[in-house]
Amino acid sequence: MSSDMQNFIGLSAVLTGFNQEILAPELDPVDIKSEYLPLFESKIAQESGDPQLVQQILLKYASLAAGGGTEQEIGTAMLDPSNGANWVLACRKLIYTWYAGAWPTLIPPGPSKPASTVGDVISAESYTAGLVWQVMQSHPMGDSNYRYGYWATKPASLSDYTGNP
Amino acid sequence: MTTKTYDVVIVGSGISGSIVAYELGRQGKKVLILEAGQAVPVDRSGYMQTFYKANAKTPESPYPPTTQNPNASTPTNPLGLPDPAKENVPRYTVLQINAWRKPDQCYFTYPPQALGLKGDSPDALFAFASSYERIGGGTTWHWLGTSLRHFTHDFVLKTMYDQGVDWPGGDTFYQALVPYYEKATREIGVAGDAQAWSKIYTQFGMTSGGPNYAYPMPAIVESLVDKAFDVSPVTSLTVDGIPLYSTSTPQGRNSLPGDRRQCAGNTNCIPICPIQAKYDATVTLANALQTGNVDIVYCCVASNVRLDPTSDAVTGIDYITYADHLGPATGTGTAVGSIYVLAAHAIETPKLLLMSNKNAKFPKGVANSSGQVGRNLMDHVMYLAWGLAKDPVYAFRGPLSSSGFESVRDGAFRSKRAAYRIEIGNEGWQWAVGDPTTTLADFVFGQNGSQLNGDSVNEQGQALRFNPALPPNSTLFGKQLVDTLNAIYVRQIRLGYLIEQLPDPKNRVELSETETDHLGLPRPLVTYRLSSDYERNAFVSAKEVSTEIFKAMGATEYTKAPPPPVLYGTADEVTATNFQYQGTNFKFYGAGHIVGTYCMGTEKSNSVLNSRQQSWDHGNLYMVGSGVFPTIATGNPTLTIAALAFQAADNILKDLGGY
Repeated sequence: MSSDMQNFIGLSAVLTGFNQEILAPELDPVDIKSEYLPLFESKIAQESGDPQLVQQILLKYASLAAGGGTEQEIGTAMLDPSNGANWVLACRKLIYTWYAGAWPTLIPPGPSKPASTVGDVISAESYTAGLVWQVMQSHPMGDSNYRYGYWATKPASLSDYTGNP
Repeated sequence: MTTKTYDVVIVGSGISGSIVAYELGRQGKKVLILEAGQAVPVDRSGYMQTFYKANAKTPESPYPPTTQNPNASTPTNPLGLPDPAKENVPRYTVLQINAWRKPDQCYFTYPPQALGLKGDSPDALFAFASSYERIGGGTTWHWLGTSLRHFTHDFVLKTMYDQGVDWPGGDTFYQALVPYYEKATREIGVAGDAQAWSKIYTQFGMTSGGPNYAYPMPAIVESLVDKAFDVSPVTSLTVDGIPLYSTSTPQGRNSLPGDRRQCAGNTNCIPICPIQAKYDATVTLANALQTGNVDIVYCCVASNVRLDPTSDAVTGIDYITYADHLGPATGTGTAVGSIYVLAAHAIETPKLLLMSNKNAKFPKGVANSSGQVGRNLMDHVMYLAWGLAKDPVYAFRGPLSSSGFESVRDGAFRSKRAAYRIEIGNEGWQWAVGDPTTTLADFVFGQNGSQLNGDSVNEQGQALRFNPALPPNSTLFGKQLVDTLNAIYVRQIRLGYLIEQLPDPKNRVELSETETDHLGLPRPLVTYRLSSDYERNAFVSAKEVSTEIFKAMGATEYTKAPPPPVLYGTADEVTATNFQYQGTNFKFYGAGHIVGTYCMGTEKSNSVLNSRQQSWDHGNLYMVGSGVFPTIATGNPTLTIAALAFQAADNILKDLGGY
């Protein structure tokens, strides 16, 4: 794993609330992280007009992580408005991407419509890899790995899905 | 294909066409099926990939032709909807509903709104809210699987309640249909709880054929969501004096391993079951083809029904072939048999009849001496209600629905308001608000599309912000995001009311005079209203009952009142399915139950078909599918569609002298 990738996964774990082992397991045939990092770099460069922004975000994460702060402290610092609007938006889009498996476009409110978000599904794999299915203690709609009747009993605990206590 | 002689030519390979083909093929009859759409694929992985990648996971999203192309998004066509004029086999999709006034994006065309109407006018026109497929196997690819019989009173709505019409023969029709209901139940392989249904049938006085009902498979186990509704504060409620209680839904999905796999709870019956645990018509179609007596031609669009000018008998069905969905026509021909069966569902069947207007004695179209072809278009119009349960119910697990409130489907109230059954959803707020992504975006970006992250208040005056300790439009991350999303998703509940729509001759399918598909065939012109107090009163009832149910179970209601209807304005300004009634704004949804348009009846003057599903005008022409229903009744239609197809097959066999 490259240093960029290590920082990307570390940052993603802090922001999503999921354990790094869930985002990037040691045995990782789907390898969704390798789809997300280049997408994140290119989309943010394009949308912010700043080709250095993702590097700066990852470097700041690396320095905060090296400083030994808690995840809560690191996340708060990464999302602090003083980093700039594009910076914070990039981090928030990263959260959405991991959860939805889709790249978000924010639609401003209209005369009769509230603000909304449209997701562009990145790939078939990203849809099923979405953390949103894990956070609801279920499975991707259309990709169940459970057996008949599981829906009549309670699921495993939330921490089994997030990898975090 | 014209060189081979067939006993029967069938248009359409959905559940009706496939059942008729199978029944005839088993009896040694030679059958040809013309299917407009693409072939049944060798496996469903291609459809699954398309589904996974689709931005909008609508019922049609896995199937060809593509429902949207995000890369083709423009300001006037934000969803990137394809132009139906460029497609050989376009169909209506739910993404087209809000584009209903844009013929370059919507397959259906609609007449202009009459001037001077108000939002509560019974004459207001709406977009049709349900869709279908034009592919091998038809619309059962995306059906839910619910396999209900109609109740006996559904067949005598006029006699009992002075509403709509009776089915021809009324109760006699039902009694004759009972053995075919049993055949249909076996063909679909319905999983059901006979004891629970005996209680329902007894309640509704169905003494004959009802209770003694053996399901091929035991009932699908109920979900934790179902159990949350099956509590005494809810089951102590009454609706118009009738006790409310939920019943396990008979479903066309395997509860045991068999010829198909056991349901694994993919929560994806619509748009597509990934493992075919759910029955679809490709099962019966394959059986039909395996008889060795049934041929099928795909990418073959029926375009005209030919008649003998003297006898009025059908002499052939003209068709146009294509190879590529967006490419040119590759040929034409005429399919010839002794008997013809139209099984192209309730939009394309009347369209074909109306297009067949070159026969001198039938200038209004084939089988249309009554003028009834295309009329009485119906759907189960749906009222949706949603909320958060007080405790986790673990939504988004199991089949999309596993039980419903059937006990209120009939009663004296039907002299005043439409009946409904209430479906309990296992899919959280997916249908209601587009979750899980709407709530996700709310707490990631500080929006409030779900009403959980702002200052929204429901009609009971309850504040809807999920965590009062957080400010409105909160943006969360990390553990707080995990805990908030989890607590919401696992509590989401949804009810759907399937409200019976009356037959209204003004609700109809005609031919567009201006818009065509890529083969040059006219597109449907659809007039659709929700005109009766009978139907609208059911929305008022549904709204009240939902609020009572949620209150009884301690849930918080999140049902969002829709904006008022906008009848006039630009294509982007007008609303599609919003209406007003008694000062309240409503929005209706479609159940996917396209019914009517070539109804059976008692006389040649008032109907298209006799009670044998045979054209009054042409003795060797049959039509099958939900288009034959005189009324939509209170059950989801597919089991009745299948039963009627078995019955029609027997009638055809008699006509062929082989029975």
